[in-house]
Amino acid sequence: MIAAVKASLVYYDHGKPVYACHEIDLEIKTNEFLGILGPSGSGKSSLLYLLSGLKTPSSGDVRLDGKSLVEMKDAERSNLRLREFGFVFQQPYLLGYLSALENVLVAQNGPQVEEAISILEKLGLGPKIDRLPHELSGGERQRVCVARALLGQPRVIFADEPTAALDHKNGVAVVELLNRHRETGSLVMVTHDPSMLEGADRIVRLVDGELET
Amino acid sequence: MEKGGQIEDSEILDRNKELRASSTKAQPRRVLRPLAPSTYLLRNLGKTAPLVGVIMLAVLLVAGIISMIDSIPYSIRTTYNYSQEMVGITPRGDPTQTQVILSDVRKNSPVPLERIVICRVSSTQIHSIVGKWPFYVLGLSPADMDFYLHRQHSTGITGRLPEVGKAECVVSDPVARNLALKIGSVVQGPDMDESWSPYRVKVVGIAHTDRWLIVNPIQYQRENHFPPIDLGMVFAKNLHDQNILDHWTEKHFKGKRAAVLAYFQIEKNTQDMFKTLFAILDVVIGTLVMVITFMMGMLMNIYQSQRLVEFGLLQAIGYTKKNLLMRVLREAVAVITLGWLFGVLLAFAMLNVVRATLMAPKAFGLDTLDPTAFRYTIPLPLTILLVATLTVFLRFRKFDPVGVVERRLV
Ligand SMILES: Nc1ncnc2c1ncn2[C@@H]1O[C@H](COP(=O)(O)OP(=O)(O)OP(=O)(O)O)[C@@H](O)[C@H]1O
Ligand SMILES: [Mg+2]
Repeated sequence: MIAAVKASLVYYDHGKPVYACHEIDLEIKTNEFLGILGPSGSGKSSLLYLLSGLKTPSSGDVRLDGKSLVEMKDAERSNLRLREFGFVFQQPYLLGYLSALENVLVAQNGPQVEEAISILEKLGLGPKIDRLPHELSGGERQRVCVARALLGQPRVIFADEPTAALDHKNGVAVVELLNRHRETGSLVMVTHDPSMLEGADRIVRLVDGELET
Repeated sequence: MEKGGQIEDSEILDRNKELRASSTKAQPRRVLRPLAPSTYLLRNLGKTAPLVGVIMLAVLLVAGIISMIDSIPYSIRTTYNYSQEMVGITPRGDPTQTQVILSDVRKNSPVPLERIVICRVSSTQIHSIVGKWPFYVLGLSPADMDFYLHRQHSTGITGRLPEVGKAECVVSDPVARNLALKIGSVVQGPDMDESWSPYRVKVVGIAHTDRWLIVNPIQYQRENHFPPIDLGMVFAKNLHDQNILDHWTEKHFKGKRAAVLAYFQIEKNTQDMFKTLFAILDVVIGTLVMVITFMMGMLMNIYQSQRLVEFGLLQAIGYTKKNLLMRVLREAVAVITLGWLFGVLLAFAMLNVVRATLMAPKAFGLDTLDPTAFRYTIPLPLTILLVATLTVFLRFRKFDPVGVVERRLV
């Protein structure tokens, strides 16, 4: 469904090119759970940004159902992210003046308040949905971010170390919920912790911006 | 509506309506339009209230200054607007010419005439917020006095009309308030330099009308005041005809031995008089607007910088720059409109207080709904909005959501 075709992402460090991703060929299938492992700085986040259209590849292409994301207009890509993709970023960003529930609703992917509440409940945040972010712990904030990604049953969820800030029990719960999302869509999850990828259909390793086979 | 795969704001709003409709239990601080401008504004009152406050005070300041200054020409117009009812003609010091002039008017007037009144005039003074202004005591025959009071909208008199030939006068309500006159008060007298008369001219009646007027018997003026020249006052049937008559008279007697006194001349002189003052005000108010706009622009810029993470996150999630720009602009419009509205309301309230406590007791004119003052406040919200739009636009032009979301680079 989503495919990277010889996709590279280059950063320039004082004029010297640094490949965050180098000629990556990777396909994510419908309802697949793909795990991405790799050491820090290996380009895992960069790969997620490429696949989700948040960054444009320096060379190569990324295709959704055969359609090139590179050739899409900005607005079209934005709409794709809003409608079809869910994100859990490495940093748990929330809008400080919105409650947990409102932060989830910001995703605007699906209009159901009930759905938002039910996701938050499943993530163990039921009693805290009306709290502001600063009234939540770091792990709770991360779970709100997960809930935001889940809202509206997106076709693909991109999760960048969603369990980094959580204890093992909560981490497992989050991954389980993300995993259950596979009934309706795909899941691409980056993590340091291989134990979180037990349910994954496939695991790829990134080293220095290249896929290890 | 979906256009080229892009979500329009209206769609987001529509969805929010659905959200609201589907809400079951209302919680205290839960909103179902988390990205509505009101949400940000209301939950960040610490930031938005001062912005509204500054705009409000600036509008109050501008409206206040302009209204107070504009009250001077406004007072001139109200004080002398009795003269819009007639055109006055004097024979420039030659008493033999009065009747000649008036029969000329009677014969050639472009409009039907209501009445020609012969009068005498002596002077006195009234108070204004910028000192004393000249005012005139009209000497009239009893029949003309009746006509004149009626024509100046008098609805009745407390006291009585002056007796023929006596040192007595009738003043109208605003004159009485302005000079603190009661029945029995003296308007002119031998010991009054600016309002001289050989006898003490006392108020015997107060006419109830908004028009400013002082009338006394023409015989008294003929016997006691100089120069011994009758003046003519020509009344048309209505104000429309009067205006035609006024202009015709001025043209007709141009270069002749006749001086014409008409309301439109007062209007024009007042306008000319205040032209320079208002030109100076343009510069002053313009500078004020610039200073305030500059300050507001900086403040808004700071607030927007503090929200870069928010914008980055929303953009990463899938909101377009246009969505975000529109959202910020809506917030700016709300803040600016509120500030302006409160400012205008506050100015109106303040001016009413000023008028009631300081101006009205002395019958000083003050228009609390002065359109000029209102006009002067309009550039303020517009320039602030322009600057806000510009800064936000420049900020969004080069903006990488990933950089913000991933690295907290703000
Ligand atoms: N804007 C940038 N400019 C220069 N180099 C960058 C930039 N962003 C990322 N990099 C480099 O690209 C490489 C990949 O970065 P990326 O964030 O994808 O790593 P990662 O695998 O997600 O690491 P981590 O596990 O620490 O999150 C790193 O070496 C990083 O230093
Ligand atoms: Mg990373």
